[in-house]
Amino acid sequence: MASVIQVKEKKLMDVQLGELPSWILMWDFTPKSIAGAFQRGYYRYYNKYVNVKKGGIAGMSMVLAAYVLFNYCRCYKELKHEQLRKYH
Amino acid sequence: MLSRVVFSAAAAAAPCLKNAALLGPGILQATRIFHTGRPSLAPVPPLPEHGGKVRLGLIPEEFFQFLYPKTGVTGPYVLGTGLILYFLSKEIYVITAETFSAISTIGLLIYVVKKYGASIGEFADKLNEQKIAQLEEVKQASIKQIQDAIDMEKSQQALVHKRHYLFDVQRNNIAMALELTYRERLHRVYKEVKNRLDYHISVQNMMSLKSKSRQ
Repeated sequence: MASVIQVKEKKLMDVQLGELPSWILMWDFTPKSIAGAFQRGYYRYYNKYVNVKKGGIAGMSMVLAAYVLFNYCRCYKELKHEQLRKYH
Repeated sequence: MLSRVVFSAAAAAAPCLKNAALLGPGILQATRIFHTGRPSLAPVPPLPEHGGKVRLGLIPEEFFQFLYPKTGVTGPYVLGTGLILYFLSKEIYVITAETFSAISTIGLLIYVVKKYGASIGEFADKLNEQKIAQLEEVKQASIKQIQDAIDMEKSQQALVHKRHYLFDVQRNNIAMALELTYRERLHRVYKEVKNRLDYHISVQNMMSLKSKSRQ
């Protein structure tokens, strides 16, 4: 496995399928680095879609759509009782 | 003393070396690099004009480009349709009373965005431009102030170079005054001496006249 040596610094698209578990395990799960990852993700999204001269509806609508999806997943368990048919 | 002769000979033989020795420390100080440990972020790069492209207001363009080599242009739309039908048929998305309120709300939002989106964008752009113009004004005023200060400084420096005229005039005045007093005193000495000599001459004349008249 000669590619294990540089696995940590590869991005998701370059990792081979077989090395995925080891690649995930190579991340450091300290609270500081998790907070850093959240901050980096936030700034990536913010600088790409919101912090521009002529932003559109996209910057906000994607956040709202993600929020809607997240809440739907949270309520799915209660919604299952309102299904129209029992067998699909 | 011999070393001084050697130095002068060396300086005469290689004048560029002498200049280099004089300028050496100055050049070293000018090119010293200050290591701050991290590259400075100024000047800040300008904001991009438009954000990342998004289709249907929800899905970034990168997803469409990602699927384009394998499925062509209609790939993501077919995928979206298939997913929607799958969710509906397997009732992963349940149709309840809220579905209809959601449909009307989203329809209204899309209508408002399509109709008034451009004008709201222009309004926001105008506000932004006003803010930027204000800041630009402040910046220009500050630059102008500093430029005026520089010009005044330069003019005062130029005046300082001309002050030798003042000293020349003063020197000439003093020289003239000295010359004047010298000539005045010379004339006075001449007058006094002439006075004394005239006195003696007139005394002699009188004595000779008296002696002549007595005979």
